[in-house]
Amino acid sequence: MSEPLTKLSFKVASVRSAAAAGRTFLESYPVEEIVQKAKLGKDALYPFSDLDEYGRALLGADISQRQPTRFSTLDQLVLLPPVFTPRRLEKMTELQREPLYSDVVLEAAIGGFRSRLPVTMASMGSTEVAHAASAQLGKGAAEAGIPMGLGENIATVWGYAKRTKASMPTFKQRLFAYLDALDGTYGGVVVQQSVEDAYDELWNKVYTDPDIEPHVRKGHVAFEVKLGQGAKPGLGGETKVSRDQAKSLKGKYYFPEDPEAVARDRYERHSAPGTYTEEILRAQLRSLRNNFPRAKIWVKSGPFRDLLALFRVAAQERIDAVLVDGKEGGTGMSPVIALKDLGLPTLACLKRIYDARVEGHLTPYVLSGRLHDGGHVVKALALGATACSLGRPFIVASGVAGAKGITNYLEATEIEMRMLISSVGKYTTRDLSLEDVGSLDRHVADALNIPYVYA
Amino acid sequence: MQRVLRIQAALGSAIREYLNGEGFTELLPPIIGPVTDPGIRGAKQATIDFYGREYKVMSSAILYKQMMAASLGRIYFFSPNVRLEPLETAATGRHLVEFVQVDVEESGATCEDAMRRAESLVASVSRYAKDRLGSELAALGRTLNGAAPPFRRLSYGATLEILKGHGRDIPYGVEIPWAHEEFLSSLFAEPFFIHDYPRGSRGFYDREDPSRPGILKDFDLLYPEGYGEASSGAEREYEYAKVIARLRETGENPAKYEWYLDMLREGIPASAGFGIGVERLTRYICGLKSVWEARPYPKVAGVFSP
Repeated sequence: MSEPLTKLSFKVASVRSAAAAGRTFLESYPVEEIVQKAKLGKDALYPFSDLDEYGRALLGADISQRQPTRFSTLDQLVLLPPVFTPRRLEKMTELQREPLYSDVVLEAAIGGFRSRLPVTMASMGSTEVAHAASAQLGKGAAEAGIPMGLGENIATVWGYAKRTKASMPTFKQRLFAYLDALDGTYGGVVVQQSVEDAYDELWNKVYTDPDIEPHVRKGHVAFEVKLGQGAKPGLGGETKVSRDQAKSLKGKYYFPEDPEAVARDRYERHSAPGTYTEEILRAQLRSLRNNFPRAKIWVKSGPFRDLLALFRVAAQERIDAVLVDGKEGGTGMSPVIALKDLGLPTLACLKRIYDARVEGHLTPYVLSGRLHDGGHVVKALALGATACSLGRPFIVASGVAGAKGITNYLEATEIEMRMLISSVGKYTTRDLSLEDVGSLDRHVADALNIPYVYA
Repeated sequence: MQRVLRIQAALGSAIREYLNGEGFTELLPPIIGPVTDPGIRGAKQATIDFYGREYKVMSSAILYKQMMAASLGRIYFFSPNVRLEPLETAATGRHLVEFVQVDVEESGATCEDAMRRAESLVASVSRYAKDRLGSELAALGRTLNGAAPPFRRLSYGATLEILKGHGRDIPYGVEIPWAHEEFLSSLFAEPFFIHDYPRGSRGFYDREDPSRPGILKDFDLLYPEGYGEASSGAEREYEYAKVIARLRETGENPAKYEWYLDMLREGIPASAGFGIGVERLTRYICGLKSVWEARPYPKVAGVFSP
């Protein structure tokens, strides 16, 4: 190979183009499935292509994993319907007829909020992709009647009530895209505050804002202490911002390159992970309760090895909900080495949740981290989670059809959950338990104390 | 109103007379600074643009008074404070967005010393009011109960027990909600203390008792007859490493408190003190229904007034 060609091939190999990155995402994430749900709602539940019709389909959906991960996931679990179903008899007695999947009650109490489904919209932060879609995301979550998270740094980066960029909404606009679309019964908003947001007293601003006051009074506002994020436990937030933004944020974040001195299009912006000991966290949670008595208090944890110790503190301090983000979660703008090497996989986090239930803790736990269908939610609930938090599916769905894409996607997911729960002969999420799941992997089966299905 | 303001001025003189007589130096209060007291229970700080940097209007001058006591021993100032309180406080009758507190700090003092000092200040001002403002108070229809030290002392735990006895259950670790505090205060005819608050219920500068982890060496002084909180005070956390850890309880980056931490790192002596709100004191002495009757041009949360 001639020298220029060698150079060229090195260059090609070294550039990971947007197209290639997009292709990787399509290959490794079930984008197509989510797109179909976002477009068609419940009609996406059966694998009919445009050529097939009901009753004539030859092929079902692909049930194998396209790209196996290095670690075990909830896809290694299956639900185990029994033939004998005493709970179904109970339900039949109540209904005076044979129960159907539509009889499953999915309404959930999550961290002080009522939710139509055991699902929340994960906190998305200040990244442009999440922020630009935020009006549709908020509207969709509210119309679906599920709680929504508002991530870190939104107010600091995009402005609390005054836009920092003409084309982008402010924190308050993003908040009210959700609050204004609530029906008054379901939902609630969970507001995070980073160390940098704390500098501007974000929570105090929200709590004293006359526009938000009616929602605080109705109990629709929670504050969430963020201890970490799935993909990068132990690291702070990273993102890239424009030079103008970098200059205005210089005092509050760490910029490896000084935006005043070095000219670039985009600057890496880092925030601190925040230092905790058990005592610091305990005192912080108490002050939150004392300072904001009418707000619910949530804690979001990354996939840390001492999750159980955290669960104990949360139980003692009567925290309204603990959200646990497994290592597959929150991957946007995370260092590759962190994605690869840091933290407990989502399934391992779920095991800690199960252990906490065995210890007798009653705190609502919300699990997140690459969960994207009704099966994931039902399996998580069977192992002790109260709800699941989804992020990426909503971004994809809103990209397909805006707020309608989100309600469509949730309509499909809701029916999946109803079908799966009714199939194990149960009609409330509360009744789901360990007996309903088995594992395709012997190690996972042993660890979770569930049957190895081939044994 | 004129009568109330005249009484307020006289109470101011009484406070100065007492503190000057005890060897305290009155200083001019700081109004703005790069940081202020973050321990203000849900309220928001007011900010100003200070030549391109954000400065805070004092929500309390606690950080400054600790430093000033380190240099001058016994100090006080009449400190104007601004706290953008949540709207719900508009109806408590006890919250003003703009108010003045007498900030007292004494180098080398303990929590117990500060309690005795607050007690003797309130007693001496009450005596002054009864002796010298009798006819003014009579015109307001106010009969002031005695306030003879020592005031009754209730630990935080004992206070929860009392409230529980009245069907008011408050979980340990939680600050006593305003309505319950008012009720508690109505059970007493003379001022009283609540002390030993648990860590997490107060600002980072209230010292944790080294012999009883989780308990702070601090107190509230409450007026009787339903008037509620008069004063908060404490022995101060003054050791650098402890303050750093406590500061994290606010969820903030300690870097924000640079000047304060620099001073602590160099080392300052222990101190204790308290702040006593002038409007609340006036309200109690005069027997007013609401604290906004106790100052000219009052500012109440969410109310647009001159």
